[in-house]
Order: sequence, then structure tokens, then C-alpha cells
Amino acid sequence: MAEYTLQAEPPLAGTEMEIAGVRLSAPADLAVVSLALPLGGESAAEEAVKDAYGLDFPGIGRSALAGDGTRLIRLAPDLVFALFTHATPDAERVVAEGLKGAVYTTDQTDVWVALALSGPNTRRALERICPVDLHPEVFGVDHAARTVMEHLGVLILRAGADDYLLLSASSSARSFLHAVEVSLRNIA
Amino acid sequence: MSQIHRIKGGLIDRSTEISFTFNGKAMRGHPGDTLASALLANGQRLVGRSFKYHRPRGIFTAGSEEPNALVELRKGAAQEPNTRTTVAELFDGLSARSQNHRGSLEFDLMAVTDLLSPFLSAGFYYKTFMWPRAFWEKLYEPAIRASAGLGRLSMEEDPDTYDKGYLHCDLLVIGAGPAGLMAARTAARAGARVIVADEDFVLGGRLNAETLEVDGAAGADWAAGVVAELAAMANVRLMPRSTVYGAYDHGVYGVLERCTDHLASSGGKPRQVLWRVYSRHAVLAAGATERPIAFGNNDRPGVMLAGAVRAYANRWGVAPGRRVAVFTNSDDGWRTAADLAAKGVEVPAVIDTRDAPAVCDVPGARHMRGAAVMDTKGRKGLRQITLTDGQMIDVDCLAVSGGWNPNVHLTCHQRGRPAWRDDLAAFVPGHDLPPGMVVAGAANGAMTLAAALREGRVVAERLGYADKSDLPRAEDEPRDCAPVWHVPQSRARAWLDLQNDVTVKDVKQAHQEGFRAVEHLKRYTTLGMATDQGKTANIPALAIMADCTGRTIPETGTTIFRPPYTPVPIGALAGRARGREFRPYRLTPSHRWAEANGATFVEVGNWLRAQWFAREGEQGWRDSVDREVLMTRGSVGICDVTTLGKIDIQGRDAGEFLNRVYCNGFATLAVGRVRYGLMLREDGIAYDDGTTARLGEHHYVMTTTTANAVTVFRRLEFARQCLWPDLDVHLISTTDGWAQFAVAGPNARNLLRKVVDESHDLSNEAFPFMACGEVTVCDGMPARLFRISFSGELAYEVAVPARYGNAMMGVLMEAGREFDAVPYGTEALGVMRIEKGHAAGNELNGQTTAHNLGMGRMVSRKKDCIGNVLSQRPEMLREDAVKLVGFRPVDRATGLIAGSHFIGQGDAATMENDQGWMSSVAYSPSLGHSIGLGFLKRGDARMGEILRAVSPVHGREMEVEVVSAHFIDPDGERLRG
Repeated sequence: MAEYTLQAEPPLAGTEMEIAGVRLSAPADLAVVSLALPLGGESAAEEAVKDAYGLDFPGIGRSALAGDGTRLIRLAPDLVFALFTHATPDAERVVAEGLKGAVYTTDQTDVWVALALSGPNTRRALERICPVDLHPEVFGVDHAARTVMEHLGVLILRAGADDYLLLSASSSARSFLHAVEVSLRNIA
Repeated sequence: MSQIHRIKGGLIDRSTEISFTFNGKAMRGHPGDTLASALLANGQRLVGRSFKYHRPRGIFTAGSEEPNALVELRKGAAQEPNTRTTVAELFDGLSARSQNHRGSLEFDLMAVTDLLSPFLSAGFYYKTFMWPRAFWEKLYEPAIRASAGLGRLSMEEDPDTYDKGYLHCDLLVIGAGPAGLMAARTAARAGARVIVADEDFVLGGRLNAETLEVDGAAGADWAAGVVAELAAMANVRLMPRSTVYGAYDHGVYGVLERCTDHLASSGGKPRQVLWRVYSRHAVLAAGATERPIAFGNNDRPGVMLAGAVRAYANRWGVAPGRRVAVFTNSDDGWRTAADLAAKGVEVPAVIDTRDAPAVCDVPGARHMRGAAVMDTKGRKGLRQITLTDGQMIDVDCLAVSGGWNPNVHLTCHQRGRPAWRDDLAAFVPGHDLPPGMVVAGAANGAMTLAAALREGRVVAERLGYADKSDLPRAEDEPRDCAPVWHVPQSRARAWLDLQNDVTVKDVKQAHQEGFRAVEHLKRYTTLGMATDQGKTANIPALAIMADCTGRTIPETGTTIFRPPYTPVPIGALAGRARGREFRPYRLTPSHRWAEANGATFVEVGNWLRAQWFAREGEQGWRDSVDREVLMTRGSVGICDVTTLGKIDIQGRDAGEFLNRVYCNGFATLAVGRVRYGLMLREDGIAYDDGTTARLGEHHYVMTTTTANAVTVFRRLEFARQCLWPDLDVHLISTTDGWAQFAVAGPNARNLLRKVVDESHDLSNEAFPFMACGEVTVCDGMPARLFRISFSGELAYEVAVPARYGNAMMGVLMEAGREFDAVPYGTEALGVMRIEKGHAAGNELNGQTTAHNLGMGRMVSRKKDCIGNVLSQRPEMLREDAVKLVGFRPVDRATGLIAGSHFIGQGDAATMENDQGWMSSVAYSPSLGHSIGLGFLKRGDARMGEILRAVSPVHGREMEVEVVSAHFIDPDGERLRG
């Protein structure tokens, strides 16, 4: 029955601006799937991840980039997020199939919205909202942390020298964008 | 006329002139001036009227300790009262007005208050305005407020913006004087991440105000050199115009940065930023504050602190007077005399309380040994001083030095107490400093330049930072001080606290009346309150009190120093949090659809939810809500219920986990089924309720109430990690991930059949009440379907990935068109749940148990769960406990009132006769009258009884009948149909 079809309307779709020399954008089609490691099945899970992505589990608060562009972020001893570009609403199934039941997977794609910031002024702007010390020697490339910005839970990831990815709850996307955008405008 | 008091030298840019106005009068100054230095340069000695007695007052200091020279700065909405002229940077177009006078500054009508001063001494208000009591609020207080006080607010919205921020460092250096700069340079050269914060706009501290040399160069030049070196280092952040106002736990400091206060306009950028600085260590190098000596009429414009007079001459090229006498009890006052004389200012006398030889040669000055000033003359500015021996000297400025107090404030912000040093006659930092803080320089009692530089280096080294270079050369200038607090021969009032008009006599009176503890003294006299917090007044006042009580000053003690060190605007504390952005808000997936379809929104926590959808012609919200209820019950209604918390629960032990967190059993829940669950607090009180669906062997999805979505998740995470780490259970929130819609009403199934893909059998047999499953909708879109009902109707909740939620709402409405489907909001949702007798937040209010809610039997005795044991306490299971039942008005036309209490017929409406309360009320369009849910003692056994529902708050009462809470479909035929 194809009488009705559903169009995706991600909350921050199309966000794209440059302020204070910082490029701010919402990555399109970013899928997020959580991987929970079964109690006692950690080694099997690690092997399955290695098979699927060619990566060892990153340490807690660290991330790693697989050859296929998937980024694994270790948030807790038994929790890993997989971030990858995937448009259709079956990201969880795709990851689950690849890991062959070695982990518990949950689709987190629509739980989060993401904002990517890049440019040398990014850290100076984030000083206004991010309590985490982002000094390059403290928060290195591939580091990740969960924190709170303007009362919003945020997962921050340093993807490159001056590239950061911020994830926050999708329902408060507008407040999240406002917080980041104002930070940029205030240093411009 | 303009800058008639300018003299040579100073750190101002004379190549540029800038204009400003004071009380509308045009004046000129230079970049580098403060408002105070520019006013003095223009010969403006009188700048304000005092708080209580409306005495003429002038500029007293050259720093943030200024008690007197407060003005209203800027115009219109940007007007800021109580701005200290001594720290306000001059900019072109600045406009300032003096405060606290009626009529002009020169002829203040309220100056009559000063003549009444004998009647207005300390405690006057407390004693005088006691009777009649009712007069205080309406008459006395407004009258006092009108006559006393400081500046006025604009009463308009602050046009500026503010921001906050977070900084991290190894070393925070508080104060950029000689000690601070040395500590910063030592640590920075060793590679530390250093932040240097100073309240001034030129770093260097007293080096900029003195003629002392460092390494053979002018102190100011040496400071500028160090600042330039630091500025070029990537590991150093220099923060001028930034006051460290508080020392908090764990090395956190509060810093107020004034970003645009020195500019005519903020240009749309934040005016101020409130920084939270996380430091490993902090060096407090906050310097010292000079203190006055109290003598008769020592508050006239022209009486100033000697260090300030010196600073105006040296840093700003301004002579605060043409004939300046110096009154000192220490060597330091002599430097003022010498510096002024060197700049060609006439210094007729140096009056030293010590009977000792001259400290240095001051050309043209008489040295009065063992002498003191006891009175002054000059109505709006100093004209003459009188010495204790009766000699009179004509002067227009008197520079007073009573010694210096180390700025220990921040060392005390965590209840540390300062220690007394007799040799300095001053308090220095005690031993219990905030963790991570060290103190250097004058703030630590190292009162000479060489000592300050040395200490700056030493504290940095003690923190592990080494710099092999030689210490800069500087002298240990003479700093002897013989404390004198008050000239006892003074007959006129001798002022201690210029900001609050507190005199020596007031302190003596406080002592006489028993207010002898320093904290009592402060409250009784108002000593040390307001914007300057007694920086110049506290210690002299303590000394007077010590003298009265016969104790020493350290025995008398100080009041507690608390943040902020200097005033912080409320706007800066608020930061960006104003208007719509006061706090984050959350939108449901169908928000845009709702906006486009006439929804009125209500805030539910941070969520904005559709409350109702008004249609044309409806007269008020009740019309809309009644229609939504009737149309839902008549055919089908759709409601976005995404806000309910959703927790994805997976693991081999997920079922056992649920069994332990819910009071009812979950071990037997089959795959593809949903169950209602009730959670208890540890003490057995009902905590939260919701449903949990079993989607797979090891996969469950829990829903919570909207309000408790976060707290339930946190509680489950605690249980998983801390109570039962041996269970294989994993939790993750999916609240925002799924757009979930209730589809309710007799046509709910018919509607869903058009949306859910045909391969899924929705028949009552295949998908009965409390069934659930993963389905697809709209040709393959993954979705979840739950057959659950909050409304009591045949109902489903269907969930799709949230990004498709807005479209899904449109599809459901489109598919429902043939059934006259209606969107309904939270009001109709509430009405229907009351009609059905479902408990919600009003019933699960933190006071009720499963027993009260009529769900006592749900608390399984076959297994343990959180709250199980304590829920079985006898008091919780009383036979006469309140029970949840329904109510309807005997007179059906009457509207019930939520919050009413139930009282028996003929009983008085007292607490003793209270039998329970009405928790939820609604007008039921289905029944045509008001209905209520409530808790009534033994309610379940009292069906049909008539009681009074009394609401003293509304002054109303009505007769109500006890009925079943299930007003609609008590047997559940609809929802199972």
C-alpha cells in the first residue's frame, strides 16, 4: 500500500553558515547506533567489531575511524556509539547484521542532532558554552566527552585539528543551535 | 577652562582629546583617563552626595575600593547607577550624572538631613519607626527610601547582552602588579598555562602609579615589557578589565570581564562575560588597599587617600589640588609629598603622627612631627585644615595615609580567617587558604617593591615552575607605620565609612548599646555594606570597636569576606538566559504540523505540547477541548505522545531487572505483549508508572511519565550499575528517537489499517488489547505499534523514527479524514484519562501508595522489588487509608474544584475533620457535568455517600457524591473491542 509516504524532516537539516571564520553545519544523514557490550561477552563483542570495522575498541572517551567512514566512540566500559552516513531508517539493522548478535544495538539516529564546527576560532567560541577543557594538548584529536552546554546534554568529539562534532538531543535542537550560533556571534 | 589640574607626565595619550559630560557640563580628557582622573583634571572636586546625610563628597581613592564617587553612567536604558568613577574608563561621549540629591548637586535640598544628624545616628530607624507597625511598609520605608540611597535604575530593559564562559589553566594569577607579573612570567617561561586577570585596564598595578624603578627602568616601563613578553606567549592569556570576584571549590574562580564598558557602544557584542576559571593553582597578588585616618570633617571633597593622590599625579598627570598637605602615620605618606613636590605641586606641610625625623626631603614642606589633623573647613570642597595644636593651614587637598591593608578578601571566601601582623598593623592571609591558592606581594604583607617581586618568583617556584634568570633589581622602600586610627581631639564628626555615613560616634554608640560583635556592629551601623563592602572603612572601625572594648584588633576580629569582591551586575549573572532562551525548550516531532493547525501550546517541563487545537467559531478553550473529547470518543482522535519517556532495555537479564524495578511481576510477560507497571520509591511510596513492551526475547521498551523521563532513567542506571552489576542489562534513552502518536476511538483500527502495511494483521484476535510489535507503515517505514489506551477507547500508539514524525501526523490526519479524525491536545488527553479513572501526576504526587491508588494487590509478594519491604509497613496499609475514587457534584450544574478537601455533612471544615482531597477535576463532555478524582478515607467502601467538598482557598463548598473512578466504560469493553 503506497497510498501514503513519509518524508524525513531532521530538525537541523540544511543548517550551514560561517561566522567568525568558523563553519557551522548539520551533517546530513548522520546515523547513530549504540552498541552495548553483553556482560561476559566483551571479548566476543570486541572481535565482532574488529571483524566488521577493522578496529580495536577505542578507550573510554576516545574514538576511532574505520575504513568505511564509521566512527566508533567509546562512551563507557560497555557502551560504544557508531556514527556513519546512512540515509534510510534502518541504520540499526545494518550495524546489527554486521556484528552478528555480539552486541545489543539500539538506533539512536533520531535521538540526536549533530552540529559540525570547523575553523581555528572554534575553540574560542566553544569556551562560551563548553565546560570541558578543549586545549589541544588536553583534548586531542579523536577525544570525546559527554558534558552539558547551556543546560543541554552534549557529546563533543574532536574529529580533526580544528574540527569538532557536537551531538545533543533532537527535541531541543533549536535551543542547541541557538547556543552554538550565539557563541560564534559573540566572538565574531 | 577644561583641564586646569593637568600636570606633566602620566600614562595618558595627550595627543588625543576626548569629550564627556558630567551633570550636562562638557569636559575633556585623554585616552588612559578614568572618569575620576578626568573629573579631577577638570577641577571637579564635588561629585556626589552621601547616602544618608547628603553631605558633599568627592573622589577619595583611585581604585575599586572607592566609597564616595559613584555616578549614574550612560543614558536611557543603558544607564547604570553606582558606577565607581575611579574604575570607569573614559571614552568619547561618556555621560555621567551625580547621585542622591534633590535639586542640583551644588544645592541639594536634602542636605537639611545633615542638620538633623544628631537624631539620625546608628539604629535610628530601628528605634524610631517601630510604631505603629502598619506604617512601616506604607509610610516609613518608602519615605526613607526616597531620601536615602544611591543611584537610580533606568527601569527599562537592559539593552546590552552578556555571556558566560569556561577557562582552564595551570595557574591563575590574580592581580598584575609586581608580584603577579613575576609569578606569571616565571610560570609562563616554565611552560605553564597561565591566566593573568586584573581589574585595571592597564596591567602593572601600583607600578603604574609609583616613581619606583625596576632594573633601572621606570616601574611602568618594566611592567609593560613583562606584559608584552607574556602577550606573545601562546600559553598565556592576559585578561585586563577582569575582576576575580570569588574563590570557589576545587580551584574554580569567578571572573567578570568588562568587554565593552570602555567603549561608547558594545556594537552588539556581550558587554561583560562572566568566566568560570578552573585552575590547578592560583596566585593571589591582589595588592593592598590604603586606609584612612578618622578625624573631624574628614569627608570633604579634597580629602583623599595619599596613595591615590600620588597615583593621580604619577599615572594620570593630574594634581588633585594646588596646595596639597599630607597627613600620615607612616613612611608611605612621605612618598606622596615627595612625588607631588617633584611635579611642582605645592606641598605646604607633611603632618606625621610620629615624632620622628623626616623620611625624605620635601622641598617647601613644613614637617609637623607628632601632629595630627583634627578638623577641616570648606562647604563643597576642602579649604583649610586645623591641626591638633590649633594651627590652621589653607589647602585644597589633603592626602591621608593610615597605612595599607593587604587585600586578603579572596583568601577568606572559603571561611578562611586572616591573621594579624603587628609590624604592619594589618591583617594578612591566614593559614587556611582555599586549596590551590598561594599569596604573594602586598596581599601577603610583602609591602615593598623588591619584596613583592621576590615573592612573585618564590611562589611560582614553590608550585614547581623554575626561571633561572636574575631577579629584577628594585629597592625596599621605607614602609614603617605606627597605627593611628582616629584623632581623639576631633570634635566634629569623624567619618569611617563614607559610603554608608558611619562615624566614629556611631561605632561607639553601637558598643554602648551592646552591638559589640563585629557582625552585630555591621548590621547595626551598616558599616561595610553596599558597593565598596567597607574596603577602606572596616579596619579603622574595628580598631575603634577594639578600643571601646579594651580588646586587641585580632581579638575583635573581622566580618566574613564573601564573594563578590566588587559588584557583579545581575545581567552578567544571568548571561544569555533571558526571554525565550531563558532555558532550553523541547519540541515534539509534530510541532510544525501543530503550529500550522491552530494549536495552542503549553509548557510541560521543557516541552512545548499542543494543549488544544481551536477551530473557527469556538468561543474558548472549553469548546475546543469538549469537541476533541467527543470526536475522539465518537470516532477517532490523534495525539502526539512523544514526550513520554522511552527507555530501550536489552540484555539476558532484562526481564529480571524489570521484575525488580516494578512492584508488579514482569517475569511472565510474553514477547509481543505490553504490561502496565508501577514503580515504588525505596520507602514504598508510588514513584512512577507506565507501560513496558516486550519486543524480543531480550528486548523491552519502557515508557515513563513525561515528567519523570529523566529521573526514572537515572534511577534505573543507578540500579543497574550499583545495585545489580551482576545482571546483563543495558539501558539507553530513545525518548527523542521515536515520534509516538496515540490513535484513539472506535475508528482507530480502521484508520491504522490505512497506514500500517497490509502484511500486519490488526484484527482483534491477532493484535488484541496490550499487544505490541514491530511493524512497517507507509510502505516499509519501520514502526512500532502498541495497543494501549490512556483514554479508555479502542486505542493504539504508533511510533516512527522521529524525523518522520511531522509527516506521520499529516498522514494520520489525511488517512483519518474519512472518519472525521481530530487532533487532540493535552487538555482533552487529561479529560479522557479522568473520565477513565487513570491516575496521573496529580495522583502520583509523592504522598500516595499503591494501596491508596487502589493498586495494593499489584505489589507482588512473590518477588522482591525496590520499595516492596517498606510498602508493607502497617501505617502504609491502614485499613482507614485514603483510597482513589471518583466524585460528581450532587448539583450537576456545579463545577468541582481541584484541591478541595472532603468534610462530612454537618462537620466543621477543620483539619481534624479532613477526610481526603480532590486531586483531579474536569468537565466531562461525555457525561455533561463536572467529575473529579480524589483520595477519600475508606473511599472504596463508601460508594453513593454524599460529602462536602470544601475549598477554603476559593471560599466555596459543594456537595459531592462518591462514585467509581471509572466514569466511562468501567468494564473496559471499548478498549478490548
